[in-house]
Amino acid sequence: MILLRAWLAGLPAYLWSGWGAIASLCLLLAAWEAVSLVYGPLVMPDPRAAFATLWGLIDSGAAWPELAATARRALSGYALSVIAGSVLGLIAGLSMTASMMSRPLVTVLMGTPPIAWLVLAMLWFGASDGTPVFTVFVASFPVIFIGALQGTRTLDNQLHGMAEAFRLPRRMMIIDVYLPHVVSYLFPAWIAALGTAWKVVVMAELLATQDGVGAALAVSRSHLDTAATMAWIAAVVGLLLAVEYLGLEPIKREVERWREQGA
Amino acid sequence: MSMGDKTMNAGSGAVTETGAGRTQPGWSKRLAVQPLFMCGFRPFFLLTALYAVLVLLAWAGFLGVDLAVPAVAGGPFVWHAHELMFGFGLAAVAGFVLTAVPEFTATPPFAPRVAVRFVLLWLAARVAFWMSGGLAAVAGGWLGVADGLPAAEWIGHLPAALLNIGFACALLVAVAPRLWRDPERRQLGFLWGLAAMAAAVAGFHLDVLRGEYPMRWVLAGLGVMMTLVVVAMSRISMRVMNDALDAERARRLPAHTLRHDEEAELELPSYRARPPRRNLAIAAIAGYTVAEFLLPGSPITAWLGLGAAAAVFNLLNDWHVGRALFTRWAFLLYAVYWLLALGYLLLGLSHLGAPLAPSAGTHLLAIGAMGLSILAVLCIAGRTHAGYPLDERPWVGVAAASIAIAAVLRAASGLPDVPVPALQLLAALAWILAFALAAWRLGVLFVVARVDGGAGCEEYHEPGAAEASLR
Repeated sequence: MILLRAWLAGLPAYLWSGWGAIASLCLLLAAWEAVSLVYGPLVMPDPRAAFATLWGLIDSGAAWPELAATARRALSGYALSVIAGSVLGLIAGLSMTASMMSRPLVTVLMGTPPIAWLVLAMLWFGASDGTPVFTVFVASFPVIFIGALQGTRTLDNQLHGMAEAFRLPRRMMIIDVYLPHVVSYLFPAWIAALGTAWKVVVMAELLATQDGVGAALAVSRSHLDTAATMAWIAAVVGLLLAVEYLGLEPIKREVERWREQGA
Repeated sequence: MSMGDKTMNAGSGAVTETGAGRTQPGWSKRLAVQPLFMCGFRPFFLLTALYAVLVLLAWAGFLGVDLAVPAVAGGPFVWHAHELMFGFGLAAVAGFVLTAVPEFTATPPFAPRVAVRFVLLWLAARVAFWMSGGLAAVAGGWLGVADGLPAAEWIGHLPAALLNIGFACALLVAVAPRLWRDPERRQLGFLWGLAAMAAAVAGFHLDVLRGEYPMRWVLAGLGVMMTLVVVAMSRISMRVMNDALDAERARRLPAHTLRHDEEAELELPSYRARPPRRNLAIAAIAGYTVAEFLLPGSPITAWLGLGAAAAVFNLLNDWHVGRALFTRWAFLLYAVYWLLALGYLLLGLSHLGAPLAPSAGTHLLAIGAMGLSILAVLCIAGRTHAGYPLDERPWVGVAAASIAIAAVLRAASGLPDVPVPALQLLAALAWILAFALAAWRLGVLFVVARVDGGAGCEEYHEPGAAEASLR
């Protein structure tokens, strides 16, 4: 509740600070415009054409089912990896042996390109939802696992000792001592994993499914429709940026605030 | 050129002679001892306000009853734009830098005769430009109109070109060594701004001499002016905002607890004009100005315009400090940034194809951001450096509101389906009212000696300030 109130109080200032990002994005749009002027609309349609196409897709209702399918797959894979990654990471972090043992495994997982997982998933799950969901899960799991592991490994032993000395009740110990610390590691990992999930799902759909944004991209590619391609890219990136910067980033700042004050 | 020499100004009578054998005309010496020339800003701020009234009176006559404005190459719109940008605007810049640069760089103030020379040069440049059309006609008569027309225009414009470029360059030369030699070179922003401004003036007149339409250089000059506004305002705003915050702190705390500074500090943030955001805004404005110059009307320019608007809005992050913002001087400066951002927003939208003329955005910048910031500088720097406290009388509010109204009315005249002449005429009248008030209320202070016994540019000091800081 306090978290929510602090979040709301800081919201106007936070939103206003978005102007700096908008200024940079306008520069990007100017560069996009310049590329489209030099190479012509077939190679790169200008931003207004892309946004007009996007608006047409949204207006006609064609965009929503695709976006919904993509979001469904991304979020299911992401939810699985959040649960599995957080729980397993926390448990692994509790034991020195387990964390020592799991690190190389996670390194292997992170080092394997998502496209390799995708090929395996296509062999295992075929053209069903299982393919993108599994790929998303495998791609974002190690990110969260590492975050949870770090969070538990770096718990301050002195704080633990002090809490013991004061005979802190177990509930308070978890909520006030362990949780803030672990969450401050977990939360950034969740955000990073969400970005990964959102990108990987589009790639998986491009190759493996008949609907979703990735499939729509495959269609626009086969029609040489660069305007539609840019429109879908803008939609995917825009959605991710909106979720990340309007929803998660302010919460992340709130969660991490105690660390800055301590430093 | 001896304008940059650092002759210590020892007050009313003491004008140091440069070079033993040089004879100065008596009238110029007599001029230099007038209180008006005690400090560089005095004559120039007075001229700024008077000239704003004069040019817009002539322009209102042109718009309203078809009175002729001085014939110059390019036509009446070029006259209007050049005189407001490089006449009015540059006079304000001259007054500002001749006073502020010695202060910022901790060098001796410019001697009164430097101010006299700059004023004479500025006046000569104005006269030459006003007469350039007439001169061209006379030259055409001599040459025989049939084949001599371009040559006649060239001859007619040459004095104006030399004097205007000369004024801008002389200003640059006068302050450049001080800005450059400053140990930390913190004020170089002014140097680049003045250099770019001189380049814009030179480009304008060279275009005229080559027989081309020179308006693009006025727009470039406007962009340079906007960056100078951002640079100069950051210096002024630190002071104004923190004064407002101090007042707010004092208001919040009962008098007997005033001693506990730390508690008060915790309650309200202090204001800092942070360089990264300012630099982003300056870079964005500069980027737009260059794009507008090279690719007028292109969508690339449009996006850069929207980017400049966003970068200026981003600058306002530093300003959102609560109630202290709504005090007179803080809000005046804050409004300048809003007009600046909205001006670039309108420019960007119009280049993207929105149904409004680009001149709407241009005038929001020129009338709103430039006019209002010049009024603010006249009021703040002008009064404090003339030995008076900040003006709390209602005319400041009336003048500032008039300028804002003028900017909005002029911008609105760029929308489709509006009564254009009526809006433009009303905007002109609001502008005239604002600067007539400024010329009257501030001019009376600039033409007489200081009442606090000061004899130069030194700032006003509150009588009780020394004891208050000791407490």
